[in-house]
Amino acid sequence: MELMLAITISITVAAGVLLVLSGELFRLVIGLAMLGSTVNLVVFMTARPASLTPPVIAPGVATLPADAVNALPQALVLTAIVIGFALLCFSLVLAAWLARRQRHADVDRLRTTEPAASDAVKPPILED
Amino acid sequence: MPAPLHLDHPEHHGGHACLWVALLPLALFSALAWGVLHHELPWQGEVAWVPSLGVSLAFRIDGLSAQMLALITGIGTLVFVYASGYLAHEARRGRLLGVLLLFMLAMIGAVTADNLIVLFLFWELTSLSSFLLVGFKHDDAHARASARQALLVTMGGGLALLGGFVLLARMAGTWSLSGVQAAAPAIMHDPLLPLAVVLVMIGAFTKSAQFPFHFWLPNAMSAPTPVSAYLHSATMVKLGIYLLARFDASFNDLPLWESTLITVGTITAVWGAVLALRERDLKRILARTTVSALGTLTLLIGLSTPGAGLAVAAFLFAHALYKAPLFMVAGNIDHATGTRSIDHLMGLRHAMPWTAAVAILAGLSMAGLPLSFGFVAKDVMAVAKAEAELFALASYALVLVNAIAVAVAGVAAIRVFWGPPEWPRGKVHEAHWTMLAPPLLIVLLGLEFELIPNVANPLLLAAAQSISPALGQVDLQATHDLATLLSTSGIAVGIGLLLFVFWDHLHEVLHRQHWLDRYGPAALYEALLHGLARLAAWHTRAIQHGGLTGYLRLMLAALLAMGSFGWLLTVPALQLEWQWAPQGWAWLAACVLIATGALAAVSLRDRLAVLMASGLIGYGSAVLFLFAGAPDLAFTQFMVETALVVVAASLLPQFVGAAPSPARRRWRATDLALAVAAGLGCFVLLTQLAGLTPDTQLADWFAANSLPEGRGRNVVNVIIVDFRALDTLGEIAVVAFSLLAAMPLLAGLRGDRQP
Repeated sequence: MELMLAITISITVAAGVLLVLSGELFRLVIGLAMLGSTVNLVVFMTARPASLTPPVIAPGVATLPADAVNALPQALVLTAIVIGFALLCFSLVLAAWLARRQRHADVDRLRTTEPAASDAVKPPILED
Repeated sequence: MPAPLHLDHPEHHGGHACLWVALLPLALFSALAWGVLHHELPWQGEVAWVPSLGVSLAFRIDGLSAQMLALITGIGTLVFVYASGYLAHEARRGRLLGVLLLFMLAMIGAVTADNLIVLFLFWELTSLSSFLLVGFKHDDAHARASARQALLVTMGGGLALLGGFVLLARMAGTWSLSGVQAAAPAIMHDPLLPLAVVLVMIGAFTKSAQFPFHFWLPNAMSAPTPVSAYLHSATMVKLGIYLLARFDASFNDLPLWESTLITVGTITAVWGAVLALRERDLKRILARTTVSALGTLTLLIGLSTPGAGLAVAAFLFAHALYKAPLFMVAGNIDHATGTRSIDHLMGLRHAMPWTAAVAILAGLSMAGLPLSFGFVAKDVMAVAKAEAELFALASYALVLVNAIAVAVAGVAAIRVFWGPPEWPRGKVHEAHWTMLAPPLLIVLLGLEFELIPNVANPLLLAAAQSISPALGQVDLQATHDLATLLSTSGIAVGIGLLLFVFWDHLHEVLHRQHWLDRYGPAALYEALLHGLARLAAWHTRAIQHGGLTGYLRLMLAALLAMGSFGWLLTVPALQLEWQWAPQGWAWLAACVLIATGALAAVSLRDRLAVLMASGLIGYGSAVLFLFAGAPDLAFTQFMVETALVVVAASLLPQFVGAAPSPARRRWRATDLALAVAAGLGCFVLLTQLAGLTPDTQLADWFAANSLPEGRGRNVVNVIIVDFRALDTLGEIAVVAFSLLAAMPLLAGLRGDRQP
């Protein structure tokens, strides 16, 4: 079962990398979102969730149940999910603004800060 | 704009305020003379500098050092006097004299240092000040190129020298120069010694302009004449010779040392002399013969007989005593007529009688004729060569070198000053006394040393004994008997006179050999310099091309390469021992959901479909969280994923509205490979993770303290809002700031107007 999880995470990482390298602005951001989710999964997995019992102390009892899962990775991932959400939303808005301003969504053609095509030392890369 | 030299004002009015600068070298020279007369050599002293590294400011003055010091301070004094006249109308003379003083101190440090690191530091300081002095006329492109060339060649050699010093110090176990010399017999069979010796020789050869590094010296003639007379004939270029002489006693038994010095010295001597015939500029002619003389010195050091040490000491002295005045003569001519080309100069003795007298006396010495110290040096050299039984080729080569020296002396002393008056400018005056007295004093000194050798004898003998410890008491007295005179100098003088007469024809023949310019070491230097620039341009194109995706690919590839390297270096094994229990069908469903979403996201074409597919990953994760004891995470993930899909979908029209990007029907093979490699890397990482036992200290602490300290029963919540409250505040601030940052962009997106 854990092997299955590891394989799933690896597939998602590969897919995320592929989207990031696609050279298209929208897919790039989506790829980043996928990679973010995967990292969250990896961090969560460090808790070795061996049971279904959440880390909650039942009313009337003073301690956690013995088989409760590790609470710390959950807290970390919770924080990561929210921050990741905020940054992804901002990235999406930025990408949309850029795509609209440039009238295209090709990452490799975003060259406004690069030297001109006639530059002797730094000519633009050739379109493939 | 810096003021140019006012060549059209031979009468200097004032401007000699800088004469006092010469007092410093004069004081040093007097102190040296007093010291040599009253205290036995060697003197040494040491101050701790970096004791933990064994580096101390150690100085040691023996005969060789004392001779170099005499040249540095003695000729230095006269050069400073000369410079005060030469630069009388130069606005930036303060800068020049300042750097010249710095150079002098660096030279003094270099020839007295008894610690390899200290010696290296002063050595590099002389290269640096030489760069500043050669490039003094920095508004002249040629001067700049020459300065850069001198710097690159000598500093490159300096690096080799440092490498050699480090090796020597490691072998000898000490950074002390005399310590290394003392340890030389013990390390004679060390396998690293040849490498160290070669590196030291490269350092010395670049500094002393030996073939194939000789080309920088003639170009360094862009420097003002006082600099040429001081650095590039009398002192700095002798530093390499000094270093070779310093190590000669230690490495004399090494065949590599001896044969390399003799070969390189001979080639340099001949090549420098022959190339002198190609030049028309008086200063460049003199520079070529300096290269030749330096080659002769290297050759003499290579000879292992005791007499060779004396020959080195004598010729070192003689060369400085005639070459520095000759440079000053060239400077006077340049100053008075505005040209240094021998084609346009004749009969100057009428206008410049004193300069002509200096030239004659210095020329006599250069030609090695009687009544000059050069004659004594020639005599000693002949003895050394006879002792060493030099192989025939080198002997003939030296005769040719001497002959060309005679011819050059003729050009500098006779051709320019005799014959019908001819020079480009109407009225030519004799130079000011500050430009006449120094060279006159030097040549008279040479004359006096020849006639009354007792004055210079002790110093030269002391120097010779530091080079060849086996040398006993020898009388340094030239033989005035006619037979010896004829055999030693006769042939050379005869050929030299022929060369002098046919100078112009020879020049024509040599000048036409254009292949010399195309294939020489200088051309190689230029090719290397341009190659470096081309390499940098290519490298910039290849690595910093400005394509964002390319940068990503490169970074990812580097990351993967480093990661796998590290993994292979430590535990090159997959750890497939999984210790936690399976959670059943819910996990399987979650994994299927996630994998389907990931695969769909890369295979679908439509952007909305990609978005929806990516949403599956979030929902799958939420399901996973739900069935792994993390209900809080599951709810948050559900909410966030939904919100993200809504936001992305609402922004999609902006992307659709933009001009379509070039369609990618297929994924590039490299990207696929990178993605698969990243997936594999991640898998390996996870298997490593599974093999570790988690440290539950923190988790246990939070579980135990959640209720008593935080008064909460949900441990995750207590951690977030209580134990890590400040972090959570920061997290909320990030959310708020990203909203603030997005607002102006959103305002730009609203409506149809272009942001």
